[in-house]
Amino acid sequence: MEPVYLFDLASRHANWASVRQSVLTSNVANANTANYQRMDIEPFSEVLDETSLTLASTAPGHLNINGTEVGAVDDGTVDTWEAKETGGPVKLESELIEADQVNRGFSLDTAVTRAFHRMLLASVRSGA
Amino acid sequence: MIIDPLRAAGAIAASGLDAQSVRLKVVAENMANAQSTGATPGADPYQRKTVIFASEFDRLLGAPTVSVKDVAGDESAFPLDYDPGNPAADKNGYVKMPNVNPLIEMADMREASRSYEADLQMVKQARTMTSQMLDLLRNT
Repeated sequence: MEPVYLFDLASRHANWASVRQSVLTSNVANANTANYQRMDIEPFSEVLDETSLTLASTAPGHLNINGTEVGAVDDGTVDTWEAKETGGPVKLESELIEADQVNRGFSLDTAVTRAFHRMLLASVRSGA
Repeated sequence: MIIDPLRAAGAIAASGLDAQSVRLKVVAENMANAQSTGATPGADPYQRKTVIFASEFDRLLGAPTVSVKDVAGDESAFPLDYDPGNPAADKNGYVKMPNVNPLIEMADMREASRSYEADLQMVKQARTMTSQMLDLLRNT
């Protein structure tokens, strides 16, 4: 069975969402600043592309669950995102809509985490 | 990332709130002095002020905050009013009036107020996200 790393995925997306929220807040704060260029971070799909969600063996002592040889140490975690200028002035309305989407995504993350956690707890309790 | 991004969002929005309230204060000064002429003949009246915003990159927050760089005077010409009895009237009887246009000030005030609301909205959202995260710890 292929394990699903929902906790990892949810927490990574939540992290991405909070970074994006702070970048969007910068845009809103600088909405009336002359010559300010709107900023944004890379979309989450790109973060996902360069992130491996399977367990990586980061130390020689780690057990290999797939039965293949122990690969090179590659912890593909991305913790920081670079805010890049996307060009163009800030539109308050679109910033607020984007922020609302970020907020919704974050709600989904916490809900998924809670549901998954409840599921784990249920299996632990039923065994006791 | 040195600081939690959601707290950073709060601090950035606070810088925006601060800048917009300075702007609102300057609009109030302009409106209050819309009729302030000089005291001596031919003297310059009150000069309209405008705020200049500048964004500066905050290393600790990792994002640009906004600040009021300068409060500069509006260099446009003063309109002349014919009022020979005024102590500020020149020898032809004209008084220089402040270059404050109430309509422009009202528009500026509205815009400042809207931007302030948008900043508040961002603070609210960041707070919602934080409390959702904390709720994960609460009911298990």
